[in-house]
Amino acid sequence: MDAIEHPLRKYTRPHVTRTTTCPGCGNGIVAQAILRAIDELGLEMDDFVFVSGIGCSAWIPSPLFAADTLHTTHGRPVAFATGVKLGRPDMNVMVVSGDGDLTAIGGNHLIHAARKNIDLTVVLVNNGIYGMTGGQTAPTTPLGLTTITSPYGTMEHPLDISATIVAAGAPFVARWTTAHPRQLTRSIKKGLQKKGFAMIEAISQCPVQFGRVSKLGKATDFLQHYKKNSISFSKASGLSREELAGRIVIGEFVDIEKPELSSQWMDLKHQMGQEAQCHNKQ
Amino acid sequence: MSEIIILKNSCKGIEDCGICMSVCPKNLFAPSHEMNERGFLPPRVIDEDPCTVCMNCMVSCPDMAIVVAKKKKTKEPK
Repeated sequence: MDAIEHPLRKYTRPHVTRTTTCPGCGNGIVAQAILRAIDELGLEMDDFVFVSGIGCSAWIPSPLFAADTLHTTHGRPVAFATGVKLGRPDMNVMVVSGDGDLTAIGGNHLIHAARKNIDLTVVLVNNGIYGMTGGQTAPTTPLGLTTITSPYGTMEHPLDISATIVAAGAPFVARWTTAHPRQLTRSIKKGLQKKGFAMIEAISQCPVQFGRVSKLGKATDFLQHYKKNSISFSKASGLSREELAGRIVIGEFVDIEKPELSSQWMDLKHQMGQEAQCHNKQ
Repeated sequence: MSEIIILKNSCKGIEDCGICMSVCPKNLFAPSHEMNERGFLPPRVIDEDPCTVCMNCMVSCPDMAIVVAKKKKTKEPK
């Protein structure tokens, strides 16, 4: 055990001394960004419920964070989190899961939670492949990439999940890569402070599975690739579809205010209680 | 003046990761030849003096294995 502790170690479980990810995985960068956002906002881990599904990135909160964590069935973390938020509107509920979990299997839960505008903060770690199960094609896999389930290259077009959630009506949607950890932290902070549904998509490297099939190489090559190919949302809006091919559009896509579901439920509960009291008095 | 502390046993090695070496603008990290208790090769710091405390290594380390702190001028007696 090292004598000097990392300043964010106070937010992790003492018996979990190491992250569960492969060397060079982007999940650790996202985990640190989440903890730093909580630290900078001065929030307490006791006020948090972390919900994760199945996959590598679902392991971010579940063994590591010293808070209440729910490690749920595949694709259903948003559904579980909706229940937690409606039951305990005073808690900060955060969903941390991957692209296979949240865009493929639980895609509809995510879209409808955004539509309902329930106060959740969703951190979607997008590595473009099913990493844990051996590198199968995910809905976010780039067109033409050879994976173990598409040996001649995938013929399916990838899903732009951030654009989908913007279209579903979420009041806060941002996308960054693991090469932008500070911007990622800033957006997670904004998402936590947002009263309503907030999704932060973090494009993350998977040097083991994605790196093997895409020949992108090591984790450091991924980070350089992200730095080189990312383009800010404001710059990208003036470019054509052809010019944007292969580029990663980063930035905060939407940041608006909207009536939130759990507070509306609480208002309704309060109102009904008052009406019942008046009725009893009569 | 800064102090760069590498928490060796948290590190997953410069061979497969090496993010700290790539993000440091002053190239202050070099490979070491001393394995940690899990068999990974953590980096070593060549020279702390040119460090500008940009903290790129600290925020980009996936394993929370680097701590960068500003050195205090007077050390408190232990």
